[in-house]
Amino acid sequence: MLPVTRINATTDDLAAIQAQLESMARQMPAMVQGMTAVLETSVPVSLAGYLSAVRSSGMKVVGVSGALLEADAAGLGLPVLPADTGAAKPARGAAQTASVPQSAAPETVPAPAPAARTSSRLIADPIRGGQQIYARGADLTITHQVGAGAEVVADGNIHIYGRLAGRAIAGADGDTQARIFCRRFEPELVAIAGVYAVAEQLHGEWLGKPAQVFLQDGTLKVERLD
Amino acid sequence: MTKIVVVTSGKGGVGKTTTSASFATGLAQRGKKVAVIDFDVGLRNLDLIMGCERRVVFDFVNVIQGEASLRQALIKDKTFPNLHILAASQTRDKEALTPEGVEKVLNDLRSEGFDYVVCDSPAGIERGAHLAMYFADEALVVTNPEVSSVRDSDRVLGLLASKTRRVERNEARIKEHLVLTRYNPARVLKGEMLSLEDVTEILAIPVLGVIPESTAVLNSSNAGTPVITLPDADAGQAYDDLVSRFLGEDRPLRFTTVEKKGLFSKWLGG
Repeated sequence: MLPVTRINATTDDLAAIQAQLESMARQMPAMVQGMTAVLETSVPVSLAGYLSAVRSSGMKVVGVSGALLEADAAGLGLPVLPADTGAAKPARGAAQTASVPQSAAPETVPAPAPAARTSSRLIADPIRGGQQIYARGADLTITHQVGAGAEVVADGNIHIYGRLAGRAIAGADGDTQARIFCRRFEPELVAIAGVYAVAEQLHGEWLGKPAQVFLQDGTLKVERLD
Repeated sequence: MTKIVVVTSGKGGVGKTTTSASFATGLAQRGKKVAVIDFDVGLRNLDLIMGCERRVVFDFVNVIQGEASLRQALIKDKTFPNLHILAASQTRDKEALTPEGVEKVLNDLRSEGFDYVVCDSPAGIERGAHLAMYFADEALVVTNPEVSSVRDSDRVLGLLASKTRRVERNEARIKEHLVLTRYNPARVLKGEMLSLEDVTEILAIPVLGVIPESTAVLNSSNAGTPVITLPDADAGQAYDDLVSRFLGEDRPLRFTTVEKKGLFSKWLGG
């Protein structure tokens, strides 16, 4: 399934919108380039200007959502999509949760649809300081090390069969089931679905050991793997 | 077939120019036709270490801008006639280096039949450093056994793997070699320096040479003779090993462990 990012304008200042998108594109070029986006707005804004600001950052706009943009959308040939209700979160990481014993899971949760995500990305070279890797809508497997100052990002899980000395960000598009696994845990930062911890908070018996990171009740947990 | 070798590091003062000078001289000693180019426009040093600073008439930027021919600008080494130096400009700024200009000079050196072109990179990751590595076939990554140097070398290795012509053309990747300089096994034992094993673990590239911390390096730089030409100096021998290894010879690493002092040298205060 194609991951879609919703962009909500909170101002009608097109220059400000453009500036913010540009700064985002600078920080995360791999993520922003070609990112599929749906436009929303909380204030009345010129759709044509809004659209060109978003497009100039390299994102691909697939439609708009919300009454404020509906009227102009037809003229620009853009489809109008339903608002995000929050209920449609795909069951990413289904395979992962299935293998973890979850006897305490509430009965009412429907069984997740099997493997919505099929893609994964494999990297066999060391990731050096200053390099940034983003696996869009996929798991990321690295059979080498992630050096200090490097950043690996995936919408799914991250597997590192070497040392993690840089930053690892799993579940980048909000998947709270995503996990990070590595053979040697010495990260600068780890994050899952926006919840992060820096090296200082990560001193523990798992330092330098094989470990996994996951979210439990909204908090990051680190666990030894051996 | 001309091979272009960049000597780079990220961090300054780790021994790039010393390594470039000795490496180029070592190749020339073995009969190769070698040109060594100083890419550090504005801060030229290579000519000093090669001892040809008083013979610089035209420089790299003059050639790029068409103010002099390559033959006019190449300075022939006094000891090895098959070794040539192309000095950096001291007066121009870095903007004078252009990708087209650098490519033309390298192509001209190719057609002149040079075996090796050694590109002495400036510190940093800006234009000069980028252009020095962009056309390279192999890279010597010079690193000191301390964390900031290792981190900068890691960054440079990332650039070598992503921002070079070989990558853009989908050719085989640049062959990377680690040159660990200023190595002092005694200080490693005391925990004042990273060990060779620490550095190779972090950088994950093969070691081409370990150059011991040595007063001979400073002395030879001041004298304008590359340290490799001093057969009695430990650093000179280490560079000699390095060049041989680069050309495929199997030589064990030396100067990586603390030498036990003999009874005599103790008595003599050695």
